[in-house]
Amino acid sequence: MKMVPLILFGLTVVGQWAVPLAQIRAHEQILARGALIRLKCSAPDPYDPLRGRYLAVRPEQGMAPVLEGQEIRKGGQGYAVLETGNDGLARVLALSSFLPASGDFIRVKAGWRGDRNEQAILWPFDRFYINEKLAPEADEWFRENVRGEQAIVAEVRVLEGRAVLADLTCGGRSFREILKERVR
Amino acid sequence: MDTNHRWLLEQLPEWEREGLISREAACTLRDRHQALQAASDSHPGAAQIVLGWLGALLVGLGLIAVIGYNWDHFSRSVRLLFAFIPLLCTQAASFRVIRGSAAVWVCESAALLQALATGACIAIVSQIYNLGGEWTGFLFWWMLLSLPLVWLMRSNAVAVFYLLAIATWSCGRTEAGLAFHDSPMMYPVLLLGVVPWWPGWPLKPRLSVPLRWVMTVSAFCGFFSAAAFVCRDAGRFSATDFGSAFWLTTLTGAVLVLFPLNESGIGESISRKPQVVLGTLWLFGYGLAATFDSLGKGIAKCVERSVSLPWSWGLLAVLAVFVFLGVKKRRWAVLAVASIGLLPLVAFPFGQLVPWIFTLHIGAIGLTLVLLDFCGRRGAPRFGALLLSVLIILRMADSHFSLLAKGVGFIVVGVAFLAFNLLMSRRRHVVRSV
Repeated sequence: MKMVPLILFGLTVVGQWAVPLAQIRAHEQILARGALIRLKCSAPDPYDPLRGRYLAVRPEQGMAPVLEGQEIRKGGQGYAVLETGNDGLARVLALSSFLPASGDFIRVKAGWRGDRNEQAILWPFDRFYINEKLAPEADEWFRENVRGEQAIVAEVRVLEGRAVLADLTCGGRSFREILKERVR
Repeated sequence: MDTNHRWLLEQLPEWEREGLISREAACTLRDRHQALQAASDSHPGAAQIVLGWLGALLVGLGLIAVIGYNWDHFSRSVRLLFAFIPLLCTQAASFRVIRGSAAVWVCESAALLQALATGACIAIVSQIYNLGGEWTGFLFWWMLLSLPLVWLMRSNAVAVFYLLAIATWSCGRTEAGLAFHDSPMMYPVLLLGVVPWWPGWPLKPRLSVPLRWVMTVSAFCGFFSAAAFVCRDAGRFSATDFGSAFWLTTLTGAVLVLFPLNESGIGESISRKPQVVLGTLWLFGYGLAATFDSLGKGIAKCVERSVSLPWSWGLLAVLAVFVFLGVKKRRWAVLAVASIGLLPLVAFPFGQLVPWIFTLHIGAIGLTLVLLDFCGRRGAPRFGALLLSVLIILRMADSHFSLLAKGVGFIVVGVAFLAFNLLMSRRRHVVRSV
């Protein structure tokens, strides 16, 4: 039997395992050791033909000022420097093109440039997957609560600039659980 | 067993009894057709392969639906198991196939299932961890991890998936500002990924006709998106100026039409050469559009702007090599067709005259295609006549003649076209009978 096809097949198998395993390792590390950051957001319900239903997580703060004397080109990488307020919600103080020495920060991409040295933030998390039954219910919930006090909060774990969306909550409860109750 | 073989084997004893053939001849025929039958049994028909694909697809989709139904009840680790178990199973199946000598349809099914399981695994992991990112990123890793299956298992199904995926990925990455390695400029490199499976090197069996079509369509889409990207990135792509990308795609069409072929490839019928069919259609579409006044002048401006792009230099360099090889092989008909791609380069300094230069050039090509056949060379007389007719109809349509004159003109062209068709049929009949 020829060895070359077997070696190639072995490498293929290793690659096919390595890619998802690398993703898992990186994200498990962040979930286990990362700091918890809470961001106010909205979450409408689009559809991905390849990966199914999800809530498009859009943090309320879409723009932030770039630090004085720095510049980030559109599509380039930057760091969103975070500050947590008295209400427990985080907000972006500024965008920096250099790795901050301390504090909480998330590695983001910069979007279009606005007025007053502000630039759009392209967040590294933008989807929260839920099942087919719950997704339309989320839209319904948003329609009913659009003018209400209740807000959706994205709970994000942050470690060395990398962020993983852990959960969406509303009034301290998991948003997924709220939707499940509504479906029932 | 094939019905023809069966019939022949049934007839042999009778022919032997009647003395039509000798005993030795009957034995030889029996041995020969039994060997042929054995060979054809090991090469399954298209239906068998398609059924294999369908089976693999249905099993995959069914599993996804069953697991998806109970998804919310599973913990994260159980969900991850569901991502990896199908991958492991399909890898084990492929390993068995590679070690043994499985039938073609088994190879195809195993390879397709493994490719699907790889995509499903990445998708499930990214779903479990709510990974963001664009669908193109997901598709990129999926197609790259599936590519080796094309070479290892010689799978047509995975090759089709890969070719369509690289074209789709390229079309999804045309926004300006992307790095080279993350843009459609990578398409040619990705296309080279199928090289180990290419018919000419390392001299493996020829590609099937459907696969050639898929490859050509993929190449067109991929190179078009690369052209769109380079124009956008250079700030030349706007609502009023996507003509630059169209011209670069026309150069790609010329490259495809002139793609070097060996003698047997040149001798094949046109339906087996999709690169020539699609390239010709694109080139003539572009050329005929350029014969209109406003479009022709617009094209001249676009070419002027895009000729400074390195991408167009690259295409022109490849085209120059292919033109040289085409001249060497005396492929005059395709050289005439490919010249449409280069015409804007020659014509743009003349600005206002571009539509007329195109009209004359396409008219000349039509005549060339007709005359080549009459001179005993490889031409396309009916296509040439069709081209001339279309050209006359277009000029009549945008002329200021009265409706009556236009109507008479259309009738004359129609009658001439029918008469030429009849003449060609008779000529072919005479040539055959001689």
